Amino acid sequence: MTSLPIPMAIELRGLTFRYPTGRVALDDVRCAIAQGERVAVVGPSGAGKSTLLMHLNGLLPMPSVATDDTVQVFIQSLGVTKGRLRDVRRQIGFLFQDPDDQLFCPTVREDVAFGPLNLGLDQAEVLVRVDQSLIAVGLPEHGPRNPSQLSTGERKRVCLAGVLACDPAMLVLDEPTSNLDPRARRQLLEILRRFPGTQIIATHDLDFALELCPRVLVLDGGKLQADGPVEQVLANPNLMERHGLEVPWRLRAV
Amino acid sequence: MADNSHLVTQIRPCDAIPATARLALTLLVIVVSSLIPLEHWPAHGLLLVVVFAGLSLAGVTLGYLARRLMLFLPMLLVFGLSVPITQLHRESAWGWMVSLWLRCTISFLAGLWLIHVLPFPELLATLLRWRCPPLLVAMLAFMYRYIFILWDELARLRQAREARNFGSGSWRRDWVTNAQMIGLLLLRAMERAERTHQAMLARGWDGSPKFLGTEARKGE
Amino acid sequence: MHIRDGILSPEVCVVTGLISLAAVGYSLRKLRLDLEDRAVPLTGMLASVVFAGQMVNFPLIGLPVSGHLLGGVLAAVMLGPWAACLAITLVLVVQAVLFNDGGLLSLGANILNMGVVGAWGGYAIYTIIRKWLGNGTMTAIPAAVIAAWFSVLAAAALFCFEFGCSTGSQEFHLRGIFTLMVLYHALIGVGEALITGSVLSFVLSRRPDLISTPGAASPIANVSQFVMAGVVGGLAIAAILAPLKSDHPDGLDQVVQQTGMEARQIERDGLVFQGYELPLPSGFGWSTLATSLAGILGTLVVFGIAMGLGKGARWNLPVIESGEPHGR
Repeated sequence: MTSLPIPMAIELRGLTFRYPTGRVALDDVRCAIAQGERVAVVGPSGAGKSTLLMHLNGLLPMPSVATDDTVQVFIQSLGVTKGRLRDVRRQIGFLFQDPDDQLFCPTVREDVAFGPLNLGLDQAEVLVRVDQSLIAVGLPEHGPRNPSQLSTGERKRVCLAGVLACDPAMLVLDEPTSNLDPRARRQLLEILRRFPGTQIIATHDLDFALELCPRVLVLDGGKLQADGPVEQVLANPNLMERHGLEVPWRLRAV
Repeated sequence: MADNSHLVTQIRPCDAIPATARLALTLLVIVVSSLIPLEHWPAHGLLLVVVFAGLSLAGVTLGYLARRLMLFLPMLLVFGLSVPITQLHRESAWGWMVSLWLRCTISFLAGLWLIHVLPFPELLATLLRWRCPPLLVAMLAFMYRYIFILWDELARLRQAREARNFGSGSWRRDWVTNAQMIGLLLLRAMERAERTHQAMLARGWDGSPKFLGTEARKGE
Repeated sequence: MHIRDGILSPEVCVVTGLISLAAVGYSLRKLRLDLEDRAVPLTGMLASVVFAGQMVNFPLIGLPVSGHLLGGVLAAVMLGPWAACLAITLVLVVQAVLFNDGGLLSLGANILNMGVVGAWGGYAIYTIIRKWLGNGTMTAIPAAVIAAWFSVLAAAALFCFEFGCSTGSQEFHLRGIFTLMVLYHALIGVGEALITGSVLSFVLSRRPDLISTPGAASPIANVSQFVMAGVVGGLAIAAILAPLKSDHPDGLDQVVQQTGMEARQIERDGLVFQGYELPLPSGFGWSTLATSLAGILGTLVVFGIAMGLGKGARWNLPVIESGEPHGR
């Protein structure tokens, strides 16, 4: 095989999305994210961050998911269409904002095993993955526990373990630090730093974005307002204020 | 509200019995108690002794037992009394009533033993082994997890209601706000169910449940 | 209404268990066709809500006891009869095995009474009344209220039948017990109807789209709906009217005796029922009148509630929010 260009991890070619009520949620968003890049998506509430993330995984109601002619989202050069959802979702590990939306089995171990079991792996392999994932998130002894007995931070980590157990190529995280205390937040940061694949993180926590992601996208009113290195974009006070954000402390000139 | 896993933390002799047998044993006791001929007091007595022994082996304290019985017995009393009252002229009615009380109490205590010795995840595994439809077991597992979440949400709604109430205490108002609480819980729960469905899809769910095998459970 | 172990005989438990098994299996199959991969989360969540809802205390004026929601008809209105039957089944199972709040052996009977007759049957009545009232969104409330009352009464009647088959002996004049049961459940049914209607009117005021209009179903579905509704209605009416039959063993008692006989080979002693055993001041006439009055009054009250709630669904009462941000 002659050298082919390495596919972009994620490509958005003019992504536009309207709610059934007619309101425009995303307006002609264009960007490309390379393998292994870490990108933060920031913006005021209602900017369309979550909607954007949902498009990556084809999680919106079925009629919205494109057909071959109209597809605007590409994951590893695969167009996200109805027929390819299964393959696309194998590539992406999606972490939702509320861990209770994602932790639905009676014990931690069963929940982490959910993904690998659905992938069709045999029992032995599933168990190995469960143990490895729990170790990776720092919860090796928590297998038999009932998720309701865990703290929010622990639940978030169990969700992450469940996602990592599927061995995804990239992680998509929706507000990962919401409701986390400082220690849990730090633990999450460490875990994410160790993940080698592509990461897209929608967040209000600009300091978190600064620590983890070299690149940032600013979304407001469904439009992509800025796309560049995090230290530059977030340090621009006019830009930040225009879009309902604030310059993080670390970047403020005295 | 806590699940029953807090009841099963100590190591006891009962743990040596496999989960399937624990369930089967409970059902056996209940069936036997129903089959005892009326007013055969020695048999009733024997079964009572058996369940009490089982309960003490399971680590159930007398205080707890007394509390549960206090809640259970009044209803039973009322139901049982309805029989002789409606057949005052039949002598065997009283004997029948006492038999009924004993039968019900034995069954109740057997059920109490079960919830103390069988944690819910193991019950689910037992159901699967007994060929219960996997879809039903998956629904049970799902429901179990969300009972706790909804319970907390209900508590929060109650607190919010208390905070605004200023002790109005009007019966009609209480009724209406209770109905609103349930309605709100229902709406939120249905929305959460849709989100959870998406989380399931994101991890490859296709509608057919798959479970960790029994080998995993022995390690727990 | 949750039947405890020890009240029904093992034979009745087995029979009701088998019927329930078939019904639950059927519900699972139909639900899977309807909801596909949404079946597990929606039904499981519905079951959790019904479970939590059953715990809410509705205080009764001046009485130390409180009313509670059962939720069969409410569940059926939200997600259809199959999901509702399964949800009730799940709730009953969890109550029995996690909280010892109901019998294990009598699960079959409980599922049959509350899940099948209560949810399927209640839904059938709801659908028919709604069609009759003209399928607008607001007709859902009166229809649900009436269906809720009927479902409670029908479940109680079925329990009486099961209990009769269990004791099966000629020694007991079951009509007295049945009268008590019917009276009691006619009252409970009113509570259920009220609560169901209130909750539904709240839900409809927020999200009218959540309750679908029963569309033009196939002729077979229509027929089975009528049959189901007829069964439930018949049971309920039998419960009310049974005490009215007087001197000779009537239909209900005869059936009970005969099935009881097959199970236990008890000889008939040819007794003619001699009246009623309720410890009421006079004899015969009063208890009949009392029971039938309860039935008629209950029906009137329920219709009244139904119409009232239907009209009042646009109440603007202060709504409880705990201020949590939803979704994204």
